[in-house]
Amino acid sequence: MSLRTVFESQPERRYIMFGGKGGLGKTTLSATCAFWLASQGKRVLLFSVDPQASLSDIFQKDIFGKGPVPIIQNLWAQEVDADRRIKDYQEEIRKKILDMYGFDRVPEEIDNYIAAASAEPAMEESAIFDAVVDIVVQGNYDYYIYDLVPLGHALYYLSMAKVYDEWINKITKLREDMRQYDQVAATMRREETLEEDKILSELIYIKDRINASSRILTDKRRTAFFFVVVPEEMIILDTRKAAELFSKFDVPISGYVVNRVLPPDLGAGNIPQYLKNRIAMQQKYMRDIEATLGAQVLAHVPEMERDITGLGMIERLAKRLFEEGAA
Amino acid sequence: MTAEKKPKKGGILGVFKDIVYGMSSHEMTRYAVRSRASMEHLFILITMGDLLGVPILPPYYSLRLLPYVTPQISSWKRRMLRERDITDVLG
Repeated sequence: MSLRTVFESQPERRYIMFGGKGGLGKTTLSATCAFWLASQGKRVLLFSVDPQASLSDIFQKDIFGKGPVPIIQNLWAQEVDADRRIKDYQEEIRKKILDMYGFDRVPEEIDNYIAAASAEPAMEESAIFDAVVDIVVQGNYDYYIYDLVPLGHALYYLSMAKVYDEWINKITKLREDMRQYDQVAATMRREETLEEDKILSELIYIKDRINASSRILTDKRRTAFFFVVVPEEMIILDTRKAAELFSKFDVPISGYVVNRVLPPDLGAGNIPQYLKNRIAMQQKYMRDIEATLGAQVLAHVPEMERDITGLGMIERLAKRLFEEGAA
Repeated sequence: MTAEKKPKKGGILGVFKDIVYGMSSHEMTRYAVRSRASMEHLFILITMGDLLGVPILPPYYSLRLLPYVTPQISSWKRRMLRERDITDVLG
């Protein structure tokens, strides 16, 4: 199966992710895939939450923190500015407190807490998590392509969905129990109505968002997760480990893309021994990949003669990957 | 309690010492030990809260709840941090 048939045979797919170690070409493949889908007339949003996102670099356009920016027809790219998002969010919380209680200023103790909570590393992670949920629940696009941060983070992100889900279930249950006591007290006091529990409503809202996100991630019909590998020993081993971990989180792995493949005919020419060795080594690992992953490999991406930046190069690669059968 | 069975080593002086200890320091020791224990519990609550069902919150979402509990925060803190536990209430 080729990358193209994967997309054509699964028209319900909406969420596409490329995972792999840093520097293997996830962004390149995400951008290429987004470009091709857009050129097929699909509305595509390519987004990244990595603070060191490279979408700006690959499209040679500053899009950081600017919301969805149109790149070509049908293609938008977005880089989320997590710091900005946290700052805005803090402001929003402060304003809510002022509005709710008619304070002139936020009590110092509370303000300190807001500042301290925002300084925690977990704050950025959970803010990013929320930003992704924000993006994927909109439903304005035919495809959402998520340019993931390197594997460790991706796994962290996935496990977080699970942890949050459990946390929120626990606390919602507690709140519901509290609600029952309120109910009893209200009945004994012969009160007709019980005030709505706003915290419970908030918890239910949060729960819905987290569920939406983990439902999407593990939906085999709508979500595709591709692994990017290169023919090198360490990478192959790491990818195998990562694939095992991903399957523990029920993330459907839809296939592998082998990147940075040196043209095999290169070895035939009169080239230095050093290059000959590199090529022989790569061919050995190509056979390894073939033996272990076999039919799950959807495409081999050749090592290009120059960096892939700018629309021209992306277009070339897209043609190569999707149109020419990409052997 | 077991004063009669004790070897005569301390004699009357030993018994007297025990009585003085019981009257003066024992209460303080108990207090110290108990404070230590409740501080220990508080520490565990903060670090290992998950074990008791006190969750370690994802901060983005805990901030979302903050406005609703703002008026209760100081009394809650006072309550959590005061060195009393259930045995104080019962005893």
